[in-house]
Amino acid sequence: MEINVKNIVITGVTAGLCLPLALFAIILVPIPGLPAASGFWIPAGFYFVMTLWFGIWGALGGHIATTLAMGYFFGYTLQVWADGGLGDFIAPLVCFMIFKIAKADPELKTRRDYAVWVVAVLISSLVCGLWVHTVNLFFGVITWPFWWVGVLTYFIGDSLAVLIVGTPLLKTLTGYVKTSPMYAWSE
Amino acid sequence: MSRTFFIYIEEKSPLLKLHPLLKIISLLAINLLAWIIDSLTALLCAIIAVFLSFKFFKIPLARIGRFIVFAVLIVQAVMLSYLLGSTIPGNIVYYRFPWGTYISDMTLIYAFTMTAKFLLMLWGSTLLLAVMRDIDIVYGLVSMRLPYYLAFTVNLAFRLSTVFMEDYAKVRDAMILRGTNFSEKSLVQRARNYVRLGTPLMVLAIRRMFEMTNALIIKGFEPGRSRTYLYDFSLTIKDKVILLLLVAAVVLAFLLKTFYGLLTFPGWPFNG
Repeated sequence: MEINVKNIVITGVTAGLCLPLALFAIILVPIPGLPAASGFWIPAGFYFVMTLWFGIWGALGGHIATTLAMGYFFGYTLQVWADGGLGDFIAPLVCFMIFKIAKADPELKTRRDYAVWVVAVLISSLVCGLWVHTVNLFFGVITWPFWWVGVLTYFIGDSLAVLIVGTPLLKTLTGYVKTSPMYAWSE
Repeated sequence: MSRTFFIYIEEKSPLLKLHPLLKIISLLAINLLAWIIDSLTALLCAIIAVFLSFKFFKIPLARIGRFIVFAVLIVQAVMLSYLLGSTIPGNIVYYRFPWGTYISDMTLIYAFTMTAKFLLMLWGSTLLLAVMRDIDIVYGLVSMRLPYYLAFTVNLAFRLSTVFMEDYAKVRDAMILRGTNFSEKSLVQRARNYVRLGTPLMVLAIRRMFEMTNALIIKGFEPGRSRTYLYDFSLTIKDKVILLLLVAAVVLAFLLKTFYGLLTFPGWPFNG
């Protein structure tokens, strides 16, 4: 895959937008017992939308932002990259894949589009929650009794953030983004 | 004073003048050391050393005050996780929970050790990120033989994060001027107002994305092409010695822990 200027800028801008939001999310809605976790992962709403518009490069931006923000609290280590960083790369891509397979429109024009959006967000948040907290458990960062707490809070926190923040963004701005050649569905 | 990504730093700060590669390696080394070391005493010594470094390298200590909230977040998370959900054998068991976990003397030491690890990472990273500038990210990552486009992307993330923080303040002020009340008593209404902030922020981000792409294309930026650089950051002998010491510190800590049982949990004086 050849990397071009557009890909770099999409990744950089998504990461730049999500980095301060990730820091705010960790500070404003911390989860007792889970370091560097948030009960309302605000940046997810943005990088899910960016991924639906611009494909893998939006997810990569989310991945960089999460790695830098979580690493700040939790250390720039392999563990942070492997759990939060990689997890937040996988989640929007799962959502993107579901959208592609279901041939839904990110502008959410029909009820079917809405249904696909909600289901895709729930599935991808669950996949990501399971990934993140299983990696945390393997690295000994959380204890087994806190694993399900982590998965559940991640699932709820991520799904709520993506649905509450992402839905108005998709509804109001997809039309504007569609006019750009960067839009992932234009090919 | 010199402007870094996040604050103004005195020009004569020795850390500001450090080679970009060394800044990035120091950031990684301090995090790796915190990850490797399991002895509470060694971690506390490292935290004190980081505090003294703020003074020595002329980084405003007032910065630390702002991070007390961050420290509280880390402490509560780690303490709760280990106090309520661990089974670490010790000499005395203080309390047994109905769900099978218990608090022993070693639970407390382990929880403090984990807290010390994260605080060392937090304050160590704060020290180094405080002196980070655009050229440090770009030249530092390029010196590590990483592709230029990757260095450019990471730099863009850091640079735009400060720009978006300013955008956030502007949009928030504009909404307040139009009558939005961000200090509503109702949590739902307050959350709704913050969610509404997202759309103008995203519009600014998309516009910036389009403008930046066009500007880069017009300037002939090509990710794969070899480049020339404005500054020459060659490593002096002093830089090479510092680099060697940083790498040696990480390797030594790993070897001491793995083969000699030093720097392990609980460490002196807790292991009797």
